[in-house]
Amino acid sequence: MFEELSLHVLDIAMNSLAAGAKRVEIAVVESQRHDFLILRVRDNGCGMDAATLARVLDQRTTSKKSRKKNIGLGLAMLRQTCEMCGGHFHVRSAPGQGTSVTASMRLGHVDRPPLGDLNSTILALCAANENVDVQLKYRTDKEAFQFSSQELHQQEGIKS
Amino acid sequence: MNLDQLKKLKEKAQQQVTLREGGKKYRVVVSMGTSGIAAGAREVMTTMLDEIDKRGIDSVEVAVTGEIGMVDAEPMVRVEEAGGEQTTYAKVDQAVAKKIVSEHLEKGKKVEGSAVGRAKGQE
Repeated sequence: MFEELSLHVLDIAMNSLAAGAKRVEIAVVESQRHDFLILRVRDNGCGMDAATLARVLDQRTTSKKSRKKNIGLGLAMLRQTCEMCGGHFHVRSAPGQGTSVTASMRLGHVDRPPLGDLNSTILALCAANENVDVQLKYRTDKEAFQFSSQELHQQEGIKS
Repeated sequence: MNLDQLKKLKEKAQQQVTLREGGKKYRVVVSMGTSGIAAGAREVMTTMLDEIDKRGIDSVEVAVTGEIGMVDAEPMVRVEEAGGEQTTYAKVDQAVAKKIVSEHLEKGKKVEGSAVGRAKGQE
C-alpha cells in the first residue's frame, strides 16, 4: 500500500503515459464542508476495452499471472483505499477514448492516507515525458490552484 | 497540502525545464513503476533534483521511466553518459542518491557499493 494519496496519483498517471497520452489532467478536490476528497486522473491515451478494464480492476489479477507486469495492482490498491475510507472508485475507459479514474473518500475518515507531496508527483510526471501536458487542478472550499506543464514550456519559449 | 506549497511547483518545474535544455553529459533515469514508487523512487528523484540544484551542476538531465522489471532491486537509478556508457544503481535511498550526485555526476566517479552492472549501448 502507498502511504500517500499523491503516490497513487503518480502511479495511475504513469499508466496514462504508458497508454500514450498527450494530456493528463489531475484533479484534486478537498471539501471540509462536505467531508470528501476526490482524486481524478483523466487522460487521452489509448484507453481500454471492457475485457481489459474488468481485468485491471480484479484484485486477483496478480503481476505473476499477467504477462504485462503490474497490470491490476495499482488500481486495485487505490480502490481498496477508497472503499476502506467510505468512498467510491470508478474507472471509465474505451478504446481510443482515453481513461478516467475517479477516486473519492471521506476527508475526515480516520484511515484516509494523507494527500502527501503532490508537487513531487507532478515533477516526476513532467520528468517522465516532456511532450505530455501534465495538468493539475487543486480545489478546496476556499481556494484553487492550476498548473499546466505545457503552459510553462510556452512561457519558456517566449523568454528565450 | 496547502496553496503556498503548490505555488512552489511552478518554480520547481521551471527549474526542471531549464535543466533539460542543451546537450548534457549525463542523463539520469529513475524507474517509476508501481514497485519503484512503493520503494520510494519519487523521493529519490526529488532528492537528486534538489542536490543537483544545490551543487549547481548543469550537465545533467533527470528523466523518469516506467517499470523495468527488477522489482526487488527498486528504487533503481540509471546514469547514462553521453559516450554511451550506462551505470545502474539498485536499492537507492536518499543517502545514496545524494552520493550519486556528488560523486558520479559531479566528479565522474562511480559509487561502487550500489552499482549493479554496466552495459554499453543497451537500453
